[in-house]
Amino acid sequence: MKKMHRSLVRTLAASLAIGLGSWSGLAQAQTTLNVISGGSQNMVDYVTDYLGPLFEKQNPGVKVRVVGTGPDDAGSQKMMEKLQAQKSANLATWDTDVIVPNQQKTGEMVRDGLLLKYRDSIATGKYAVSQSAKQALGVNVDGYVMPMFESQTAMAYNPDLVKNPPGSYDELRAYVAKNPKSFGYNGLKNGMSGVAFVVGWMYAYGGNAQVVQQGPYDVKSQAGWKNAFSDLKAFNQQVVFTPGNAGTLDMLNRGEIAMGPVWVDMFHSWKAEGRLAPNLRLKILSPGMPGQPYYYAIPAKAKNIELAKKFIALATSPEVQAEGIVKRFNWYPGIDANVVKPALDAKIWNQLFVDVTPADLAKNAKPFPLAPFFKDLREQYEAQVQN
Amino acid sequence: MRSPSRLFHSVALMAPALVMVGLLFVYPLVYSLAFAFRNEQTGGWDLGNFAKAFSLYSGDIALTAGVTVLSTVLVGVFAIAVAGYITLGENPRAVSLLRWIYRWPLFIPFVVAAQLMRTFLAKNGMLNNALMSLGVVDPMHAISLLDWRGVVITFVWKQLPFAALLISGAMASMDRSMIESARGLGAGRFRILLEIVVPQVRSSIFVALILSFVTMLSALSVPMMIIAGSSTMITVDMAWRVNSYGDYGVANALGFVSFAMSGVAAWFYLRQGIREGGKPS
Repeated sequence: MKKMHRSLVRTLAASLAIGLGSWSGLAQAQTTLNVISGGSQNMVDYVTDYLGPLFEKQNPGVKVRVVGTGPDDAGSQKMMEKLQAQKSANLATWDTDVIVPNQQKTGEMVRDGLLLKYRDSIATGKYAVSQSAKQALGVNVDGYVMPMFESQTAMAYNPDLVKNPPGSYDELRAYVAKNPKSFGYNGLKNGMSGVAFVVGWMYAYGGNAQVVQQGPYDVKSQAGWKNAFSDLKAFNQQVVFTPGNAGTLDMLNRGEIAMGPVWVDMFHSWKAEGRLAPNLRLKILSPGMPGQPYYYAIPAKAKNIELAKKFIALATSPEVQAEGIVKRFNWYPGIDANVVKPALDAKIWNQLFVDVTPADLAKNAKPFPLAPFFKDLREQYEAQVQN
Repeated sequence: MRSPSRLFHSVALMAPALVMVGLLFVYPLVYSLAFAFRNEQTGGWDLGNFAKAFSLYSGDIALTAGVTVLSTVLVGVFAIAVAGYITLGENPRAVSLLRWIYRWPLFIPFVVAAQLMRTFLAKNGMLNNALMSLGVVDPMHAISLLDWRGVVITFVWKQLPFAALLISGAMASMDRSMIESARGLGAGRFRILLEIVVPQVRSSIFVALILSFVTMLSALSVPMMIIAGSSTMITVDMAWRVNSYGDYGVANALGFVSFAMSGVAAWFYLRQGIREGGKPS
């Protein structure tokens, strides 16, 4: 019995040693690049299915590992808390190499010193020409970020039910007054497309839209908000509330609503996958609806900084922006469109602009409000519209 | 009298569990309750977070209490009916079918249940489509149940098997002689259930309902996925405060309110335990 026991221990020890040996051997050969992505599942898929394998092929011995933290502020808040925890613990290196946060939280992370200023040291840095590459809801993020893509909200509608789709917020109000319960949106707590609709409403009726978008922050600029919110409260009596960004598309698809605000990229992707009726169309309301980028950023004490830079340089190269961002995932490019366009054939490029033309975008694509205005706007909606 | 070394051993045995509960449960709980009173602007302690929580979310607090209480009552009624039929039913085939089928929702997570209900209860969802094709509802008057009613339906559907499992277990271990004698004296099944069976398993019903109440009170995914529109449950508001504003103060204040509600249930639960000899089941 005792002998058997001893031999069992010996076997176990041997197998453990072999196991550990092979594990450490593997660990030496491979470097893991840890990526955390906010946003919906499609953004995680983008790295797992396309960008990760491409980078691994170009850099043998490197493994890209991506974790998704979910859409909206919630997802980006999670990565911010993770970095903050590692900062407060005074760790020499942090376990995350690349993050993909939204605008609001990127601003907060730059302010808290959680990010690395890296853009000027990568070759594609010069392509970051958009306004959002410099400012994130009023916070100066110049040098800390490369935009991954730009996304835009627009009104999706069913042309069988809506012959003359409204082109502005005024026309939408007139339409809804005539056809109550045919327009639906997801309120304020249920995803960004609903928030975007409310923000567009405030740009149209709240006054001082320029100040709210560009600053400076001043409570006096909110003088017109009270009336705009009480109009919105009255308007809300005639609309249908939908459960989330996907919920709006689902309800459009089932014919429960005729119109609703959606993300343009989500709309195109669902359509391409056959999850939406092919006849649905898009239109941006004037005087404008907001859109937002997601960013690539590097935590201040990332373990593999050089590799992270290389990864972002690849991700923001014109070829990858053309093939990955525009062609496969239907986003607008994050870098200068003039360098992306030549890398694609004209047909695919034009598909991106079927309903929403570059001219519409130039005129009616707006940023979200400055962070402090944005916070006030959401809280006042809660207090004045929801209560 | 216990020897000191035995006392030491029992404390040593309990220590890992105590440390675990202390660090992972008691510490965060006390911390979050205390920080409900923290004013981050002034650095002092006051009721500011509660004032804000009540001014913005008093409707949601009332809705949360209403939805959870209503769901608990419905779970109780249906669970007693299911358990009662399993105990008293006379058709063996129907009893075994019911016994087999009623537990299924137990194995489905809340978030999956919510996802199912989202398409099932929609205006043009499966439920209304079925009713329309049966001619019960005409398409013009179909309504969406994706509001508090949808949450109640999901909660009841999800918690019913749990409560029915506990209650039918208690009913099965009852002394059947009283049921048989009542039956011999000509009492109907309904009367036997209400006047003989239910009073004897009252404490199990109580425990099942209290545990269901607390579980439903803490569910985030169901209201988040099902309720479209403004009035929602406070778990959603808590997540919203943290995610959108990074405002833990008001979220903690709402947590305090939620804790107070479950505290009432916990008080009943412990009282029940003491009545049974200090052993909450």
